Amino acid sequence: MCGIAGIMYKKPGGGHTGRDLINMLDGCQHRGPDSTGFALYGDDHDGELLLRFMIDPKDGGKANIAAVKRVLTEFGATIREEEIEGQNFRVRAYFAGDLQKFAYALEHAATVVSIGSSLEIIKDIGGAHDVDDVYHVARHNGTHGLGHVRLATESDVKAEAAHPFWATGFSDVAIVHNGQITNYWKMRRRLERKGFEFRTDNDSELIAVYLAEKMSHGVPLKDALRDSIDDMDGTFSFLVSTKDEIGYAKDRLAVKPMVLYETDEMIAVASEEVSLNRLFPGKALNTMEPAPGTYNTWQRSTYPSNQ
Amino acid sequence: MATIDLSKQSITEANELIRACGERGEDVEVLNPDARHHIGVGLTKPITVRVRGSAGYFCGGLTDGPNFIIDSNAGWGLADNMYKGSVVVGGNAGAIAGVAIRGAEVVVKGNLGSRAGQVMKAGTLCCAGNANFMAGYMMYGGRVIILGNSGEKVGEDMTGGDIFVGGEIQSLGSDAQVVEPTADDLKGVREFLDKYGLKFSGTFKKIVNAGTKLRYKNAEPPRRNIPFFTFSGTSGYWNEKVQEDVYIKSQIGRYRIRGYGAARPLPHLSDLAFRTDLSQAGKDPDLLKKIRMRTKLGDKHGARPLDLSMPVMIAPMSFGALSRSAKLALAHASRMSGIAENTGEGGMMDAQREAADQLIFQCLAGRLGWNVHDMQRANGLEIYISQGAKPGLGGQLMAKKVTKELAAIRGIPAGIDLRSPSRHPDVLGADDLVIKVEEFREATGHRIPVSIKLGAGRVRDDIKIAMKDQFDYVELDGMQGSTGAAGAEVLEHVGIPTLAAIQEALDALAEIGATGQLPIVLMGGIKDGVDAAKALALGADAVAVGTSAIIAGGCIACMQCHIGNCVVGIATQDPEHEKRYNTPQEAVHIHHFLEAMRWQLAAITQALGYDDVHKLNRKDLVATTLEAAAITGLPYEPQYRDAALQLKAS
Repeated sequence: MCGIAGIMYKKPGGGHTGRDLINMLDGCQHRGPDSTGFALYGDDHDGELLLRFMIDPKDGGKANIAAVKRVLTEFGATIREEEIEGQNFRVRAYFAGDLQKFAYALEHAATVVSIGSSLEIIKDIGGAHDVDDVYHVARHNGTHGLGHVRLATESDVKAEAAHPFWATGFSDVAIVHNGQITNYWKMRRRLERKGFEFRTDNDSELIAVYLAEKMSHGVPLKDALRDSIDDMDGTFSFLVSTKDEIGYAKDRLAVKPMVLYETDEMIAVASEEVSLNRLFPGKALNTMEPAPGTYNTWQRSTYPSNQ
Repeated sequence: MATIDLSKQSITEANELIRACGERGEDVEVLNPDARHHIGVGLTKPITVRVRGSAGYFCGGLTDGPNFIIDSNAGWGLADNMYKGSVVVGGNAGAIAGVAIRGAEVVVKGNLGSRAGQVMKAGTLCCAGNANFMAGYMMYGGRVIILGNSGEKVGEDMTGGDIFVGGEIQSLGSDAQVVEPTADDLKGVREFLDKYGLKFSGTFKKIVNAGTKLRYKNAEPPRRNIPFFTFSGTSGYWNEKVQEDVYIKSQIGRYRIRGYGAARPLPHLSDLAFRTDLSQAGKDPDLLKKIRMRTKLGDKHGARPLDLSMPVMIAPMSFGALSRSAKLALAHASRMSGIAENTGEGGMMDAQREAADQLIFQCLAGRLGWNVHDMQRANGLEIYISQGAKPGLGGQLMAKKVTKELAAIRGIPAGIDLRSPSRHPDVLGADDLVIKVEEFREATGHRIPVSIKLGAGRVRDDIKIAMKDQFDYVELDGMQGSTGAAGAEVLEHVGIPTLAAIQEALDALAEIGATGQLPIVLMGGIKDGVDAAKALALGADAVAVGTSAIIAGGCIACMQCHIGNCVVGIATQDPEHEKRYNTPQEAVHIHHFLEAMRWQLAAITQALGYDDVHKLNRKDLVATTLEAAAITGLPYEPQYRDAALQLKAS
């Protein structure tokens, strides 16, 4: 019930990730008017983590912030910078311990939006421009990013249910997904038996954790995507990103749309070509639609790693 | 040649201009298309539209006559339902290119996306590159020419038509087979390629239907005469009906098909009663003059609404399931009572259009009889997702009823057991649906209401989608709804009751803060004006009646609608049987019944102290069973049970 977008600049130095994703998502906002979100990758802050939390507007987030700070102290994380932005509490902190434990503890303190050394997820209700008005998405430049517009049906219209989803417990992994995973509970129980926690009942979070778990064992993203097509039942077109890569996978039934455009300078992916054309007004693009049951990845500043 | 710049004009303005050019016979050039959706939708004049770039979804959709040239790519649903005319795409086409075409010539110089030519009926879809997953899926006729490779599952569940593949056949779909092309076939293909300047030096393989799934293998033996009213009565485990069911299955080895609706006790409107004593209801001779009943539906997004003399409509039933004569009787009766008739699946008849003042045109997944001209002359457009009698399944029309005439209207081979697709080619989620709704609005200049018909299943989610996808109103059909043919198990056991459906719908709207913002037409076992009044009091905005209208018009409820030998001439296409149906007389009977509904609605409204039927509300109702109370949240007041019965008898 949504539209997805992703972009990666191949040239060193990156590009206007925020601005480009806003344009792409505005182009397919008809696919999902309820909420909009961005996963933005900037410079890697070595040894530092960027953390974003949802805060309760009732008390200006006071209780959430206090709880987050308690956990940060408990885990020996030192805050380098903090601010409130919209409904988010944003922290830059130094942390060197076990990220998964740290993340789960933080999840119990407040709703974590994202944790990463270069990833920041920004998501809220409203359209791409509405979210930009509050969170200044357009100011974000970087190497790559994902975006998502959502039409809420099974869950409420709220920021927590918006995409992208962070792979809970895994730094810098984000996902945007269009479709429905029908063996969700089976897959989730499998991962829960391995000790992973889930913050939502959203199938997109499941895909993120599924992929991140594989990558944590050294499986390349591309192989994890290949496996996901075998393991996931349902209809899906999703995009996943890590610090260095973006990739897609598409179900075998070809139910959900996805169009790709690649040049020497960038790779851009979206649910509809109209989003890609927003980046190149007035120009006919040589796009391609990935075949059902296919997957691929791209790395920063390199040519495609496929085939 | 006129020029339209889409960087300066909205697609709606552009389509109005394109149609105006069509009227003048002037060709059009579209600049800066930038993959925008719905370019040229609804055009019915033979002009050329040149798109200088890429087009988005449904380019050239719902058209008859024009020629489109798209310089670069095209999105999903290229040339959707196009009759005459052509589309030439310089680049690639997305999924379901040539969906439901009925005569058009569609040429894609690059590759095709998935499910190309789905449910196409006639015409040619040609691709110079490779096709993708399930090309020719559920096609009924026409020709697909693929110069490259076929993609997986080519010809999946095709019923008719030919697929020619110049490259490799990657895998065959279910019920498809490879045969030798004839000399005439190849001549025809060559002529087509020459016409569009496509060069090909290889040889063609031909794929056609293998004929293993077009008819049920074993016919059901005649059933005993157990009338619906006995059949649906409460009874023990091993009764006459169960015995018959076991016997028939022992003969055919599959599920059974029958007509009518769920025949087992379910919580229903009869489990509700009015709180006020209605014994004086209807004594006022001027009753009908005093109670406002007029109901407008469909102007939520600026369309011209249906204007009903009372909040009642005829439920969708097809010409096909029903005879022409029966459909005409319903159409006449709807006019006499000032309400709306509905085409159901399978197209609109001229005589029906003339007979009905207000006619809703229903669009189903198979796009059988669907076309732009009838859309434009309809008073409402309805996207059928499913129906209460068989949620999640398509229609069934047994071979006896698939006559040559009917097959021609629907664009399918005659004499097959037609199992209509259950899933729209272009509605695979709420995100696609919103683009489909917009296509309908573009094709009709945003003048005609667009509604959605939902069989009650996951009503909560469905209603939210309907609200967000900008429908004008919803037709919500509960489990008690009837049908001309469905699997007996589905009829009895799939879906949720009408009472639960309306409650979930109201709850869903409340959850998203949209109470009162999406009109709901409730159907599924609405028997009379009393049921209608209860439905309105619960929160429906109108009701629709199918079964009771048919019974009023002569149906004897034998449940054999699917067989096609209807003894009263209603559910048949056999001229000998249809002769028995006296259309003018039955139209009057149906009209009388509708007027009785009007009187019941007015009498109850007045007795409850209102002057407008839309003032009926939940405070007027109680539940007389625990189940109904649990479903609706109405107070459980069993002492009202008798009062409810008295009311029915009044």
